[in-house]
Amino acid sequence: MEKVLDLWAAYGSTVVFAMVNAFFALSTYAVLSVGVLSFATVVFAAIGGFLAAQMVAHFQTPLFVAFPLAAIAGGLAAAVLAAAFLKLESHWMALASLALVLITKVVALNAPLLTGGVNGLIVPAKASPLELAVLLGLATLIFYRLYHSWFGLISLAVREDPAVASTMGIPPRRIQFIAFVISGIVGGVGGAALAFTLQFISPETYFIGIAFSMIAGTVLGGSFHWLGPVVGAVVFTALPTTVQAFVPQIEDVAKGVVLLLIMVFLPRGLIDPRAMRLRKANQKTTPQPVAGKDAVV
Amino acid sequence: MQLSDATSSPGTGLTLLKLHNVVKNFGGVAAVGGLSTEVRAGSVHGLIGPNGAGKTTVINLITGIFHPDSGNIQFDGNAVQNLLPAQIAAIGISRTYQNVRLFKGMTVLEQVLTGCYLRRGVSLWASFLGLPKARARWAETRAHAMHLLQRVGMADRADELAETLSYGEQRRVEIARALGADPKLLLLDEPTAGMNSVEASVIGRLAHELRDSGLTILMVEHNMGLVTEFCDTCTVMNFGRLLAEGTPAACLKNPDVEEAYFGRKSDAERIKSVS
Amino acid sequence: MQLFLEQLVNGWALGSLYGLFGIGFGLVFSTLGILNAAHGTYASWAAILGYFSVTQFGAPFPVAIAVGVLGGGIVAVAVDQIAFQPLRAVKAGMLGALITSIAFSIILDSLAGFATEHQSLAFPAGTYPRQMVDLGVIKVPQMQIITILALLVCASGIYFLIQKTRIGAAMRAVGWNETAAALGGVNSRMVILLTALLAGATSGLAGVLGGISTSNVSYALGEGLMLKGFAAVVVGGYDDIRGTAIAGICLGIIEVFVAQYISTSFRDGFTYIFLLAFLVARPRGLLGSVNFTRA
Repeated sequence: MEKVLDLWAAYGSTVVFAMVNAFFALSTYAVLSVGVLSFATVVFAAIGGFLAAQMVAHFQTPLFVAFPLAAIAGGLAAAVLAAAFLKLESHWMALASLALVLITKVVALNAPLLTGGVNGLIVPAKASPLELAVLLGLATLIFYRLYHSWFGLISLAVREDPAVASTMGIPPRRIQFIAFVISGIVGGVGGAALAFTLQFISPETYFIGIAFSMIAGTVLGGSFHWLGPVVGAVVFTALPTTVQAFVPQIEDVAKGVVLLLIMVFLPRGLIDPRAMRLRKANQKTTPQPVAGKDAVV
Repeated sequence: MQLSDATSSPGTGLTLLKLHNVVKNFGGVAAVGGLSTEVRAGSVHGLIGPNGAGKTTVINLITGIFHPDSGNIQFDGNAVQNLLPAQIAAIGISRTYQNVRLFKGMTVLEQVLTGCYLRRGVSLWASFLGLPKARARWAETRAHAMHLLQRVGMADRADELAETLSYGEQRRVEIARALGADPKLLLLDEPTAGMNSVEASVIGRLAHELRDSGLTILMVEHNMGLVTEFCDTCTVMNFGRLLAEGTPAACLKNPDVEEAYFGRKSDAERIKSVS
Repeated sequence: MQLFLEQLVNGWALGSLYGLFGIGFGLVFSTLGILNAAHGTYASWAAILGYFSVTQFGAPFPVAIAVGVLGGGIVAVAVDQIAFQPLRAVKAGMLGALITSIAFSIILDSLAGFATEHQSLAFPAGTYPRQMVDLGVIKVPQMQIITILALLVCASGIYFLIQKTRIGAAMRAVGWNETAAALGGVNSRMVILLTALLAGATSGLAGVLGGISTSNVSYALGEGLMLKGFAAVVVGGYDDIRGTAIAGICLGIIEVFVAQYISTSFRDGFTYIFLLAFLVARPRGLLGSVNFTRA
C-alpha cells in the first residue's frame, strides 16, 4: 500500500494531466475522424474552462453542474464555428482554426471581467482524480458507442472519400457538423478539467502550445479508433516525465523525436484497426492497394 | 433485391433514363455537346466510345457531380439534372467508378454496409444509443449486405480488408456496395478495365443476372467485344456527341462508328500508297 | 505630425518583417501544401547564425545578413528533405506533414534554446548600421530603411519569379497538382527544393533583420514572427505574394498605431480581429484565389 502511495506522490500529477490531455485528444479525434484538421479544440477548452472557473468563483456552483455547463458551452461554440467556417476544403479549416486560436487568446486578454485578463483567474475548486476518471470513462464510452454505430461507419467513409460517400446518400457536411459539436462538448469538459486541475488559468493556458500537442498526441495514439487518442495522450504526457527522470536536458527534444519516429514508422498511430487487419491478412496474400484517396487525414 | 415490374426480355420496358440535348463545357472544351439518348428499364445498356469521348462526364452529369450547362436529364419521369449527388442516390441511382474506389481501412462487409446507408431504417441517434429497435434493424441490414455479397460471390471474404483483395474481387465488392440501397439504375464506369477475359465475363454474367432480377444497368465500356457480348442496346459517342444508337451489332456496322474506331478507309489507302 | 510619420515608418518597417516572413510561410503552404509549424524556427535560426557570424567571426553586416539568409534557406531545405520528403512518397497528406513539422519545431526550438543559452541575445553595437537617416521631416533608423527596402525588393523579385518565369510557372503547377505537373514535364523535385530554399531564405531574412532590429535573437523571435506572418498570409491571400506583402505592411502599421493611439495591450487584438473579419467576410484574403475555400 505504501508503495502505491509513493508511486502516486511521484507520478500522480502525470496521471491527472494525462487524463486532462485525453479529453483534448478525444476532442481533436472527433473531428479528425471525419476528415477535418482543426485546432478549434483549444477554443472550446478556453470557453469551457473560463466559464467553469467563473461559475465556481462567483456562484459557487458545484463541480457536477460546472462540468455539464462547460460541455454545453463548448458544444454551442462548436455549432457556431462549424456553421460559419466549415467548408469541405481541408487546408482551409486548418488555417481558419489556427487563426481562431490566436483570436481567442486576444479576446481572453482583453476581457478581464470574463477571464481575468493578463493576470488570469484563480480557480477555487479542484477536481479529484476520481472525478476526472469518471468523466473520462463517460467520454470514452460515448466514443466507443459512436465507433460501433452507424455514425462510426459513415464517418470513415466521409473521411476517406467524401465524394463517393455523398453519391451513396451520406451527407459529409452534416456528419462533420455533428462531429464538431461532439468535439466542442468534449473540448469544453477538457477545458474545465484543466481549470480544476491547475487551479489557475490565464489566456496563456489555452494557446498554441496545447493546440499542437493535442493534435500530435492524437495522431501518435492513432486517429482511427477511439482508444487511440487516450493512449496517445498518456504517452505524450508521460514521455517528458519519463525522459526527465533520465536525461532532463533533452526532455523537449525527446517529444519531437518520438513524434517523428511515429510519423515515419506508424503514420496511422499506435492503435490502428487497419494495421491489425492487414497483419491478419498477411498470413495469406500480399496486399493490393485500393485506388482511392490516400491522404492520412 | 427489389424486383421491378419490367418484363425480363431486355429493351422492351419503359424509358427509365432520358438525356435530352445535354451540354457540358469545361472552359473552352465541349465535353458533352448536345447529347440525347435513352435507357430502357430492365436492360443492360452500353455507353461506348473511344477515350475522351465524354462517357465519364455523362456519368458524372447523371449522378449530380456536375450539372449540365443546358439540356435536361429525366429519371423515371422526373427532371434530375440539378439534383445533388445525395439526392440522386435517394431516388435510386447508384454507380461504380473507373478506378475502383472502395474505402481504405474497411472490410468487405463494411464497404457494402456503407452502401446500405439509405435503407438503414433507424436514426443515427438511435443507433448510437444502441436501442433494441436499432440493433434489430442493424442485424437486418447486415443480413441484406451479406446477401448482396453472396450475389457477387464474395460472401466468404466478408471480414477481410477490402484492400487485400484482387482487382476483380474489389470490383465485385464495389458493385455489391452500389446495390446496397436497392437502386433502380446502376451505372458501371468501365467495370472490366484492367481485367482479363475470365474476370470480365464474370462481371458480364453478373450484369445479366442483375438485369434478370429487374435492375437497369448503364455500362460504360470501350471494348466493343465486351459490349457485343453483354449489352442489349448501346449508345455510341465521340467528341461529346452521339454517333449511333441501337443494338451493338447495328452500331458496329455504322460507318461513322467504324471511322471513329478504325479511321477512314480513304486515309488507310493514302497511307498505303505513300509507304 | 512628426510622431504620426515616425510611427507610420515604424509600422511599415515592422510590417515588412511580417510580410517577409509571411511570403516564406505562404510559399510553403501554397506550393508544397504544408502548414509548416516549424517555419518560425527558420527565422530564429537565421538570426542565431547571423549573430554568431558576427560575434565569433567578426563578420561585417552584409555578410551577417547573407549568413542568416543562407542559413534559413539551408535549414528549410534540410527540414523539407528529412521531414517532408519521406511523407511525399507515402502520400501522407497535410496532416502527416503538420505533425512532423510540429516535431521539428519542438526539436529546433529546443536546440535554439541551447544555442542562445535560453537568453535573448542582442547584436553588439557597431556590428550593424545604427545611424538615423535624415528625411527632412523625420529621422528614420537605417535598419528600418533596410527592412522596408528588403521587403520591396524580395516581394517584387519573387512575384516576378513566380508570375513571369518558367521556373515560377513550374512552382505554380506543382502547387496546383504535383502529379499532373510532373506528368507535364516539370522536375518537381527541383521545384520543391527551390521552393524550400526560397521560403527559408525569405523568412530567414525576416529573422535576421528582426533579430537585429528588436534586439531579440532567440527562439521566441521565430514564434512571434510566425503568428503575425501567418495573419499576413491569411489576410493577404495564401497564394499571392503581393497580397501577403501588402497585408504584412498594413498589419504592422495597424499594430503600431493601435499601440500608440488606443492602448498597448490591445495591439495584438486589433490584428487578430482584422484576421477574423477576413476569415468571415473574405476567406480567400485580399488577393488569393477563389478555389481555396471550395471543395
